[in-house]
Amino acid sequence: MTRYAMAIDLDRCQGCRACMEACKVENNTTESVFWMYVFRLESGEYPDTKVSFLPRPCQHCDDAPCVKVCPVGARFKRDDGLVLTDYDRCIGCRYCELACPYGVNYFNWAKPQTRQYLDYDHPDIAAATGGFVPPYKNPDHDRLYGEEQRRTSGGGHMKGVVEKCTFCVHRIDKGLQPACVATCPVGALVFGDLDDERSGVATMVHDRTHFRLLEEAGTRPSVLYFGGAPPSTESREIETVKARI
Amino acid sequence: MATATPDTPLSRGVGKLTGGWLGFVGAMLVLVAVGAYAYSREVSEGMILTGMRDVGTMGGATWGLYISFVVYFVGVSFAGITTAAVIRIFNLNRLRPLARMAEVVTVVSLVLAALAIIADLGQPLRGIVNLFRYARPQSPFFGTFTLVVAGYLWASVVYLWLTSRSDAAVLARQPTRLQWLHRLVAAGYRDTPAERERHSRATFWLAIAILPMLVIAHSTLGFVFGLQVGRPGWYSALQAPAFVVLAGVSGIGALIVLAAIVRKMIGREVGLDMYVFGWLGRVLLVLLLAYAYFMVTELLTATYAGGARERAVTRAMLWGDYSWVFWSSVALLAVPLVALMVQALTRRWTVAWLVASGIAVNLGAIGKRYLITVPSQTHGTLLPYVEGSYAPTWIELAVVGGLLALGALLIGMYMKVLPIVELEEEEVHA
Amino acid sequence: MRVTRRRFVQGAAAASAVVAGRRFLFGELGVVAEAVSPQATLSLVEDFVPTACWVGKQDCGMMARRIDGRVVKFEGLAANPSNRGTLCPKGQAQIVSIYDPNRVKAPLIRTNAKGVSGTWREASWDEALRLVADRVNEVRARNPKMVLWQKGRSKSEKLYDDAFVGALGCSKLGHGGYCSDAGYRALEYTIGLHGVQHPDMRHVNYLLAWGWNITNAGGNKFCWITWPQQLVEARDRGLKIVHIDPRLRSAGPFADMWLPIRPGTDLALALALCRELIELDYLDRPYLIKYTNAPYLVGEDGLFLRVGEGDEAVAAVWDPETAAPVAAGTFEYRGASYATAFTLFREHIAGSTPEWAAEITGLPAGDIARVAREFGENAMIGSVTVVDGIEIPHRPVAIMSYHMAQQELGFQALRAMTMVAMLVGAVGAVGGQLTDFTWKVHANYEAFATLKVGDPPYDFTLKNSKYFPINTGLPGIVAKVMVDPGRYGVEEIPEVAIVHMTNPVVAYPDRKTIMEGYDRFRFVAVISPWLSETADYYADVVLPAATIEKYEGPLSASDGYVDAVTVRIPPMEPLFQSRGEIDIYLDLTEAIGTLYGEGGYIDRINESLGLEGELALPLDVKPPVRDIFDHWAQTQGVEGVSYFAENGVLVKGAIPAAKKYGYAVEPPFAGAIHRLYGESLLVAQQAMRQKGAEEIYWQDYTPFPTWRRPTFDTSPSEYDLTLISFKQIEHKQSRSSFMPLLAELAPRARLDINPVTAAERGIAEGDPVWVESQNALSGETRRVRTWAAITAAIRPDTVGMPHHFGMWAHPVNEGQGPSPNEIAYTGEGYLCQTADQSFHVKVRVYPDTENT
Repeated sequence: MTRYAMAIDLDRCQGCRACMEACKVENNTTESVFWMYVFRLESGEYPDTKVSFLPRPCQHCDDAPCVKVCPVGARFKRDDGLVLTDYDRCIGCRYCELACPYGVNYFNWAKPQTRQYLDYDHPDIAAATGGFVPPYKNPDHDRLYGEEQRRTSGGGHMKGVVEKCTFCVHRIDKGLQPACVATCPVGALVFGDLDDERSGVATMVHDRTHFRLLEEAGTRPSVLYFGGAPPSTESREIETVKARI
Repeated sequence: MATATPDTPLSRGVGKLTGGWLGFVGAMLVLVAVGAYAYSREVSEGMILTGMRDVGTMGGATWGLYISFVVYFVGVSFAGITTAAVIRIFNLNRLRPLARMAEVVTVVSLVLAALAIIADLGQPLRGIVNLFRYARPQSPFFGTFTLVVAGYLWASVVYLWLTSRSDAAVLARQPTRLQWLHRLVAAGYRDTPAERERHSRATFWLAIAILPMLVIAHSTLGFVFGLQVGRPGWYSALQAPAFVVLAGVSGIGALIVLAAIVRKMIGREVGLDMYVFGWLGRVLLVLLLAYAYFMVTELLTATYAGGARERAVTRAMLWGDYSWVFWSSVALLAVPLVALMVQALTRRWTVAWLVASGIAVNLGAIGKRYLITVPSQTHGTLLPYVEGSYAPTWIELAVVGGLLALGALLIGMYMKVLPIVELEEEEVHA
Repeated sequence: MRVTRRRFVQGAAAASAVVAGRRFLFGELGVVAEAVSPQATLSLVEDFVPTACWVGKQDCGMMARRIDGRVVKFEGLAANPSNRGTLCPKGQAQIVSIYDPNRVKAPLIRTNAKGVSGTWREASWDEALRLVADRVNEVRARNPKMVLWQKGRSKSEKLYDDAFVGALGCSKLGHGGYCSDAGYRALEYTIGLHGVQHPDMRHVNYLLAWGWNITNAGGNKFCWITWPQQLVEARDRGLKIVHIDPRLRSAGPFADMWLPIRPGTDLALALALCRELIELDYLDRPYLIKYTNAPYLVGEDGLFLRVGEGDEAVAAVWDPETAAPVAAGTFEYRGASYATAFTLFREHIAGSTPEWAAEITGLPAGDIARVAREFGENAMIGSVTVVDGIEIPHRPVAIMSYHMAQQELGFQALRAMTMVAMLVGAVGAVGGQLTDFTWKVHANYEAFATLKVGDPPYDFTLKNSKYFPINTGLPGIVAKVMVDPGRYGVEEIPEVAIVHMTNPVVAYPDRKTIMEGYDRFRFVAVISPWLSETADYYADVVLPAATIEKYEGPLSASDGYVDAVTVRIPPMEPLFQSRGEIDIYLDLTEAIGTLYGEGGYIDRINESLGLEGELALPLDVKPPVRDIFDHWAQTQGVEGVSYFAENGVLVKGAIPAAKKYGYAVEPPFAGAIHRLYGESLLVAQQAMRQKGAEEIYWQDYTPFPTWRRPTFDTSPSEYDLTLISFKQIEHKQSRSSFMPLLAELAPRARLDINPVTAAERGIAEGDPVWVESQNALSGETRRVRTWAAITAAIRPDTVGMPHHFGMWAHPVNEGQGPSPNEIAYTGEGYLCQTADQSFHVKVRVYPDTENT
């Protein structure tokens, strides 16, 4: 039985946000959308200030509020732990976004145009890319995944649907690590199967204590935080990414 | 009674198209057209044209004016059908003139609610199909917006039709331009005692069935918000009952306004007298008192102690970005409360004050619906996101304005094809 | 199942129908007509090719993922030791900018006057190169040194700095004066190595992160990924970090202790630490006696006592009475009084108590004393360990410092900081103070033993002048000299500039001075992928450079413990008409006439890459760039570039202890005696004074680091805050703020300001503010408008600005705000004694009420 989980080592994270960028490029998300987000937090008063960082992917909760509230079952939980969105079925009501205590959902408010961060209608882009029209699309994101055989991978597919972190379902399908995990320079992100005792996450669970975000909300997330401490009500965001489409 | 001809005026002003009415229809059509245009822009370019944005990193509110009005419209529908059902079940004959228009208000406002929901969907066509195809009752959204609105709307339409049949049958006797419609609605109703008996029983039981349904409806509407542990300010057991009470307030208020308009248009002899208005005023007063109780309870709880996250929302409402909405909504509910209390105590009801109160409480209800929906999104996050902001754009205002105009238009048109006040027993049997 | 053509077409038709149907029901109404093109689904071939990052400093190994030949994503290359398969946000984001339609598409020739935004006409490469060659040759005919090659980041020193410059015989200027070169000079002077300071990360236990921007910037020698990777492993081992910096944000959660030091006072702190170490007797006497000039006898004239004649004269160390070397003591010899350098040092810093330093640095005296004590304790003086079978002293304490060296007292501050490590014998020890990957002594060590203070006319860099006997070569000074050569005793100023991967108008303080300098060039050629601001205002010709689509190298892929090399392989053809710089230089030297033959570009390439015998490139044939690297690869023992195309990197093996640690090298420390006492500095000072240089130039040429109040600090008291600038991980100097993905993360300039300081001035988060600076010597004031970012992680008397903005040439730059370089100053008072830039200036900050 596979049970995917992500371990985040807050003693290592240095808040560089490489994971945010890797996720964007890999999943083709549009402007202002951050499936992976990293908080840069500060607390206390000078000179006793403390600085910490908190990566926040989708938590892929075992008791996911977003799954509970989806009126059409477009948001669902797989047996291996991933919480995914079928973008063929989503009606764009955005209830999942409101139900989520972690704020990981993003709605495509406009027709996704600047995917891969470029405006594909620009003639110079077409010329530069050898006239490959339609422009670059990661073919992985059009495939059906899982036993359920639904289209759940990638972002920026169409306007009017909600999308979020998929733990890079298209990459783990190929045996690769999620993009954020692969790029983290200090190995603060570890992904694997909790039920596989040789996996990195299982080892970390065995060796160290961990906490989960917003435990009191009862969502039972699959993202485990090691080291550091949960954000307190005194934590203030600094260097917020204020991107708003 | 004189023999009817195609030109004989039907009762209750049915079929009589005055200049004022035509002007009203024209104005409403313009607003509806603007709203339709705005919506067409939204469909083709995406909801980015609205002021809504994602919660969390984007610092927006993802449910805004549309959902506020969905809740408001469903709320208004409450009072309508309740009044009508209560009148029937308890045979409150002196209030009978209210029954029809109450039913109409319910149906129209539910239609508007359904349209507002659709306006808020990212994939509207898909939404209509999928909401029925993949129905998930575990979702409060489904529970309210689909099951209840659809079921409740359907039940209300049936109820309205059933109760209209006898009137339609009466009107169908006259060979007017609308006779075909009247015959259609009458659907073979024959005014026999057996028929009347059956009719009466059917409506009675339907009324009984509808009452719990609408309590469920407004409670599940409350659940849509109240079950969300992730939204400070929403997560509260009080949401469901508070919704029901405020629904009553806005519905009765709307009914008052409509009754006054009808009285103006078709005269006092239809039975819309001070007894009726007084009754409406007293009901509104009681509901306002109940709602005031809920509001005070919520506020005391929130300001006495509360998690830091809840307090952020409360602060935004009481002295922050939303304070102007909050305090004006409070005023719009409190001032009518006082005015009604004065009228009740002095037993002197004036229609003008009642209409003013009715309008005011509806505006206050809209404000409160907005306050339930929005601040918990821009200021209510459990993770330390920076606070956000939301302001509706002209698209949202135009669509909502179009919906309100559509509602007025539908009621106005109904008044001209079927009687807005029930025909008296004598007329029926004449 | 084989996809036959017919099946495919049938399938595609069916798919189109289904897709169209689905789209009709569930998608936008307008897309029914958009059929699924058979071509798009037929040939999506995916492959990965190794290459090297272009954006940052250290060319991290990458794999370019290509779909149908189009590069769509970069990921880290696992085998490369410097980044081990990972990438920083810039590495991930650069994919956007490769396809940026605002890249320069063809060579541009200016059509309007310089000094304002340029208007251009496109030209062919031939015409553009011919124009540059002609103008260069004009000047070369008279004096090739009047052609100046200005680089920022050189990603192929051997082919650019060495071979190209050599072939032209021109002058060259780097960016080091803005980077960390005051530190380089200090370390070259003191221990002889070419670098600043870094710890033996794998073995260090107690680290002073002295101005090290751990979470956002690189450290000594490396860009950003390599150090944090080693840091987190060291933290797992239990490494303790004391973070000495006006800003805590730079250390994030890694600081065990934060010393929020006042900017520009590092020298005082270092002296206090030295004093405490001596006081507490944390001294490695064997090291000090044997490997430093601490026991040298210094006379009352400040010079060493020398015995022997002429060239044979050596400084004396022995106590003539007992014939044994001592570290402390005073002696009489031949009627004159001598003290050991160490004794003099101890006297020199007798008053540098923690309390004294607390007053200057703004730190609690208790913390200073505590750090000194913990440093000494953790040094484990006397202990040894065995590495690679060699017994080496074990001193697991060290300092990481780098860019903070660029301050007015930077040279001496770094000397003082080195002395902190020297006193406990940590220099070159296991776990201790390192400066480079291998213990190689740089030529400057010997050169600095006798600093030449010459007479005018001086070179335009003022090398060997009475102003800067030790001279890094600073573009800001050159600009000042170009404006007023007579004032500096210079007769010839450069006329032609070739600008390579740098943007002086934005990146070098201060903008006004730099622009005045560039105004005076008769001809400027800029080689850049985008129209830089320097090009916009001053280029006569812009040559479009490729970004990642070129061969370049050789590139080091080492992590300090493992030696490795790689080469940048283009994952795609150059876009538009851009070309790699090596390509450009081959054609340019050909046009100039210095490509072929002896001493030509090809010859020099052979020399700098070590291509000899069969591997030497023939001097009469212009080689394709790939061939150059094919030959070079063979010198590394592999068959050619194909090796790198296959494997990405050539790992040469672990750097042996015998090369790494100063103690283990043969002879130890490569025979260089570590200069506690800087005799040649005193000599230079005397010469400078004698030749009439003003005090501001010679005042810091003292044998021991001596604290004085920095010049910038003497601004009037209403300029009550110190402005520092800092780096953000999202950006790289002036070449990334227009990249859309990075601009999304870090969209504009800001002023980091303490909450108390902000409240006192009525400033709230995000408010627009004016930052006004004052030049303490000239009285000039300048101001810029930016936005406040309130943070408790900075000193109340300090404000900070990131230095990545202030650009205007690219559409994305609009509204991004200013660069601190616009209100900084260069020149006297804002320079280190080694002609290195100081980045400190006093400012006042007030809300912007003028533009509401």
